[in-house]
Amino acid sequence: MIFEEPRYLYSGDRYLLLEFGDEMNLDLNFKALGLAETVANEPIPGVVETVPSFATLLVHYEPEETDFATLKAALAERVASLGSTADITLPSRLVELPCCYDDPWTKAAVDDYRKKIKLIEPNPEATARLNGLRDVRELIKVHSTPQYWVAAVGFWPGLPFMMSLDPRYVLTVPKYNPPRTWTPQGTVGMGGSCTAIYPVNTPGGYQIFGRTPVPIWDGAQKFAPFAKSPVLLKPGDRVKFVPIDAREFIEIEQEVAAGTYTYNVVDYELFAVARYTAFFSQAKKDVGYSVSPAGETSTTTVE
Amino acid sequence: MLQFIKPGLETSVQDYPGRIGFWSLGIPPSGPMDALSFQLTNLAAGNAPGAPGLEVQFIGPEIRFQADTVIAVGGADMKPKVNGQPIPMWEGVPVSAGDLLGFGFAAQGCRSYVALAGGIDIPRVMGSCSTFVKANIGGIDGGAAKAGTVLKTAPSVRPLAECTGRRIVESTRPVLAASWEVEVLLGPHDDWLTEGDIAQFTSHEWKVSSLSDRTGYRIEGPDFEFGHKAHHKLPENGSDPSNIIDYGYSVGSVNFCGQTPIILMVDGPSLGGFVNPFTVVSTSLWKLGQAKPGDRVRFNVVTEEEARSLRGAFKSAVSEQSVIK
Repeated sequence: MIFEEPRYLYSGDRYLLLEFGDEMNLDLNFKALGLAETVANEPIPGVVETVPSFATLLVHYEPEETDFATLKAALAERVASLGSTADITLPSRLVELPCCYDDPWTKAAVDDYRKKIKLIEPNPEATARLNGLRDVRELIKVHSTPQYWVAAVGFWPGLPFMMSLDPRYVLTVPKYNPPRTWTPQGTVGMGGSCTAIYPVNTPGGYQIFGRTPVPIWDGAQKFAPFAKSPVLLKPGDRVKFVPIDAREFIEIEQEVAAGTYTYNVVDYELFAVARYTAFFSQAKKDVGYSVSPAGETSTTTVE
Repeated sequence: MLQFIKPGLETSVQDYPGRIGFWSLGIPPSGPMDALSFQLTNLAAGNAPGAPGLEVQFIGPEIRFQADTVIAVGGADMKPKVNGQPIPMWEGVPVSAGDLLGFGFAAQGCRSYVALAGGIDIPRVMGSCSTFVKANIGGIDGGAAKAGTVLKTAPSVRPLAECTGRRIVESTRPVLAASWEVEVLLGPHDDWLTEGDIAQFTSHEWKVSSLSDRTGYRIEGPDFEFGHKAHHKLPENGSDPSNIIDYGYSVGSVNFCGQTPIILMVDGPSLGGFVNPFTVVSTSLWKLGQAKPGDRVRFNVVTEEEARSLRGAFKSAVSEQSVIK
């Protein structure tokens, strides 16, 4: 449910956890990001940083400068001034990422798991079957059609948790149990209705069925979009996957290694929740749509 | 200048409070596991309490100094020696170019800190010299020291003669033992447990698991029932009673992964899908930073007010008042 009033919870002596609700729902994430945005723009005394997630905002504060009750009151005021979810607008970039679906690299990781840990169904096939799709080709079409909303970043540095912005293209899959011990860098996978990209090779529990050759983590910060931090995707950004084949994957990988790859990033535009909602209530009826759901468009491309 | 002859188990550069402001991108603060000993050690060497120094874990390194300086060693007593001769802990000790610093093993605690007058001079990454070894962030090219690693020190703010013989008073030196009492606050998810679960958590003497490191400390003990909320929730929370929709974690969270509580430490994850019924008070987390596998831990629930006075005591310990010469 979506709580009428958010819950304010102690999360130690330096953090407050604000819960907007207890379900997976984009509206709750828009609220969390909207609140994070106002706190970033007009700082609340004592607040160090915030961590938005699906239905919550974690607020890290300096307890010598404020206390739980004072902070709670200040946040409650901000929540009230946010108004309804429809009133929220968020700065959002659109990042295009090439993705080789049903690729040999994630297949090797799944085969290794099948051999050593558990004989599970190959992941692209399982994802297609569980979602009533004809085959892996249809899975590729369905997964690469919508834009994905970066609802939260974390667990591992730079790891984005993303939700489909198009209610007609939502897939749902179970997570691994037990988890894999390794996952190739750039792997694209899903757990629940959430799509993630593995920034580097790490263990993981998502169904995996694609791989991007483009780094979303750049420790050396040599590519332009990483000027401020080694992380590409921020909460509130959008991602569009562009299907490529294994040959194109290797070509792009070589460009990345040579430092000549150009990131395709449409710089900050204003994502208006009201416009998004209106668009998709129309789009549900209109099968042949092909327009971007974003608000104002801008064509600035960042290298 | 100094050079590592042997690297030790995982000797890294850390500063305090570490890499702050990147939690929403999943980048942890890192910094010393025992922030109390780390800061006191810096004070002994004549530095600001947060200056970049070395964290030595379980097995110490061998370090050759290439210039005259003053060092201080604090934290777990790993029997530090210079040229084979024992040196005192918690005290500014002069060393000369060519001297060799070595370590033995600690009877209690597991992390020692080495501060050098002036602190270690290493580039900051996202505002901090701290190292997150698992993700190759910060410190010595993103990692721990290796045999042959050379580090520079920054110029000391005090003349070396003034750093020599600075000592931390006995009464503020942390007491390291094999059993620990750690203060926690209830929340954020204490309402996911039964009252019996909460009583069990705070009355049981937990054992520190060997699967513990700078990301998290696993503790071993009895199973939990979990309350009504954990058993009656929407499917998107996940199927295990301990599962919840992914949300932001605190450093010090007691993270219930199924039946295994894991206390999230300074290199821990920023978010995830397990409930945190308790959170360790920020100035008590250093105790776990010294707890070693097999040590026993008891948790005491305190109030916000009690946490404030614990922070006050910590703050006054980490000050010039603790230094005598």
